[in-house]
Amino acid sequence: MSGLLEIANLELSYGRRMVLRSVTFNAKPGEFLALVGVNGAGKSTILDIIAGFRKPASGSVAIAGRDQKAWSLRELAQRVSHLPQTVHSDLPYTTEQLVAMGRYPHTDRWFESDEDHRFIRQAMERTRCWDYRHRNFASLSGGERQRVLLAACLAQNASILLLDEPSTFLDIDQQLHCFNVLREEAEAGKLCIAVTHDLNLALTHCTRLIILADGVVAHDVAASKAHENDDWLRFFSSRLRIGHPPSGTPRIWYQ
Amino acid sequence: MTAPAQISRAAGKGLILPIFVFVAAAILLPWVGAGPISLSRAFHREAPDYGILVQLRITRTLLALVAGGALSLAGALFQAMLRDALATPYTLGISAGASLGAVTVIAAGWQMVWGVPATWIGALAGAFAVLILVIGGFSNRRLSAFTLLLTGIAINSVCAACIIILGGFAGMSRSFSIARWLIGSVDSTSYSSLAVLSVVVLVLATLIMAQARSWNLLAVGEQWAASRGVKVPALLRTGYIAGSVLVGGAIALTGPIGFVGLIVPHLVRSRISPDHRILLPSVFFFGGALLAGCDALGRIVLPPAEIPAGAVLALIGGPYLVWAIRQRTPPEGM
Repeated sequence: MSGLLEIANLELSYGRRMVLRSVTFNAKPGEFLALVGVNGAGKSTILDIIAGFRKPASGSVAIAGRDQKAWSLRELAQRVSHLPQTVHSDLPYTTEQLVAMGRYPHTDRWFESDEDHRFIRQAMERTRCWDYRHRNFASLSGGERQRVLLAACLAQNASILLLDEPSTFLDIDQQLHCFNVLREEAEAGKLCIAVTHDLNLALTHCTRLIILADGVVAHDVAASKAHENDDWLRFFSSRLRIGHPPSGTPRIWYQ
Repeated sequence: MTAPAQISRAAGKGLILPIFVFVAAAILLPWVGAGPISLSRAFHREAPDYGILVQLRITRTLLALVAGGALSLAGALFQAMLRDALATPYTLGISAGASLGAVTVIAAGWQMVWGVPATWIGALAGAFAVLILVIGGFSNRRLSAFTLLLTGIAINSVCAACIIILGGFAGMSRSFSIARWLIGSVDSTSYSSLAVLSVVVLVLATLIMAQARSWNLLAVGEQWAASRGVKVPALLRTGYIAGSVLVGGAIALTGPIGFVGLIVPHLVRSRISPDHRILLPSVFFFGGALLAGCDALGRIVLPPAEIPAGAVLALIGGPYLVWAIRQRTPPEGM
């Protein structure tokens, strides 16, 4: 199989609660997946497993055709980057220092090279945080921080981007911009997987929606065809309706 | 001018001041003291100036430089591992363990064991006992900063209680020397002890500084570091062991001197750089100079009495800590 990411039969419990029963899906370069589901459906857990933070009780993850366990931590970091929901650090790093950490897996040099600096600057300009590169990260607002963390992920230049609720803390314009950037990454040949609660943002920007429920992939629908069968909506709320406006992609509204 | 050149130049600049201060302290501070030393008499090896300078002042200054550097470096290390700018080996209970070990030795009246000062063995044993207790107790669970801090509080109180009990059993003169030791002071020591401490500190400091890039990532978060390729468990193990030996080794010769591991990293982070590639060496040099400076200050303020360096540092450090806590940026949305 030529999939960049192949996930098969993932199973994981927290104590006695089975979060993932058997999760299976594949993804190719160029796709932008939205991982959606109600709270506690195991969305972030799946990202954690792909990133290597958590081991599943059973099942397998293959990245670029090779079992995840066969990659070294560093090789994995060159291929997979993870955007956390937030970071808690008390230490006064500047925004630019934080983004520069994305280059860690790519070099053994003591200080960053010119090439590293190109990646850092490009990533920061794309997420619009270059202007405050000298500011202390701890002094930023939630939205500003989120853009810095996203820049750090882009600077890592991995082929798989895992994003745990990338649009939290962002205002509407920034949410659209963030998802636009991710879509551009996908169009440039990366694979983006975002956990989100915003179904319309997912429908307008992602290529595929993976709906998690009861520990399995309940539905796996292409964003452009999401309105053809609205079975998947009932996993969220009985009040949701979906339609297809004359132009653009399917939209959801509630009654 | 290319960006990396700029950065290495900035790094060079960042290190010039700390190195200068360290060297200046090493050269100038031995001459500071209750009685004046004549330069020419010292050079001609005439008593008592030569003896005071070489046997007392120089060893004392060198000990303060090495121990202060080690304690500051350990402070910066624990702050990175616990992701808290105000954490120190004291917060973890490692200093308390080292103190208890050394006090046990003093109370028992042991002087030398296998040719090394017995307090040394006691302090290192105490530091490691606490380390094994803390790490071992959590071996099958995740080591979180928060649980470590709470464990540290518990260990601190238990060690403090044991020290008081030991003090009660020890005779009058021993309990006095325990009390004096607990304040922490820099006393002249033998060149052989100094050499052993210096070698240990040098090796560990090199080991720690070689991982500077990894400490940067770990200081942001364990997952943050892991998802960028840092082997977090191995790094934490290195950090805890190296930090404990630094603390145990320094404390054995000086007593539990606080605050140097807090003030110096805190100041360097905000004034020079929070980047561990620059922070760690700077902290080592400034820490040594600060402790040596405090010791020299304690020698001259109330002659012929000497104020222990630990007391001088506490007088400066206490108010500084309060100030630093008030300066803290409140976390967003909490």
